[in-house]
Amino acid sequence: MADLVIPQAILDDMVAHAKELAPCECCGLLAGTDQTVTKIYRIKNVVALEGAQQLASFDSAKIAHLERLSPAERAEIAFVMDAQDLAMAQKDMRRNGLTLQVVYHSHPHDPARPSVTDIKIATDYEEYWGKINLPVPAYLLVSLMQHTPDVQTYWIRGGQVTKAAVDVQQ
Amino acid sequence: MIKVRIPTPLRPLTKNQGEVDIAAGSIGDMVNTLESTYPGIKARLCDDSGELRRFVNIYVNEEDIRFLKGKDTALKAGDEVSIVPAIAGG
Repeated sequence: MADLVIPQAILDDMVAHAKELAPCECCGLLAGTDQTVTKIYRIKNVVALEGAQQLASFDSAKIAHLERLSPAERAEIAFVMDAQDLAMAQKDMRRNGLTLQVVYHSHPHDPARPSVTDIKIATDYEEYWGKINLPVPAYLLVSLMQHTPDVQTYWIRGGQVTKAAVDVQQ
Repeated sequence: MIKVRIPTPLRPLTKNQGEVDIAAGSIGDMVNTLESTYPGIKARLCDDSGELRRFVNIYVNEEDIRFLKGKDTALKAGDEVSIVPAIAGG
């Protein structure tokens, strides 16, 4: 049985989002009910804002790397979700009886698997989800490294990464 | 007293404490009280005009203060405040 059901139209929308922002990383959320995704929320990537790299739980090596880059270049190797957009999405989910299912982002230059940074931050974030009244989501990566975009979904728990079983609904 | 949960990236400023108990009547008051005890924390949470930065959420008992009264959100004894950094990755 699938862990998640994602409609093809929403997969297409995520890939389109990734292509629109390339070479920068895009990010967003998928929500639905009963493990079935019904809605996509595109979220602004605010990694270029002053100070974002420090508060966003990046490890010190990643912060040092980001600080050597221009603000525009930072968005090619990292994302930080706009907290205002997240709050709006959370409110919309609550109003429509939806549950957070997936956090997605793109890797314009790298494969569709979580980076060391992705795993570290997802692991740090496990302690926050309950406090902000959201379930622990799956993590979806869109890679634009090859000509054909690659989309893969994972669970990240306790620093361990496992593939999530996704059914695509036509 | 109010319980304030401090996220990992800010713990170097709070002597590595993950939770601190402080007296505060509002979120703005809480930020200033935190700043007087843990200098430097305010600049991580607020921009130069005092507004909450775009990469931090503050929740009072699981409700985002952006949907309460922002920094004027009132606090009462026993409230739990969570400072949560934006979801991020690389």
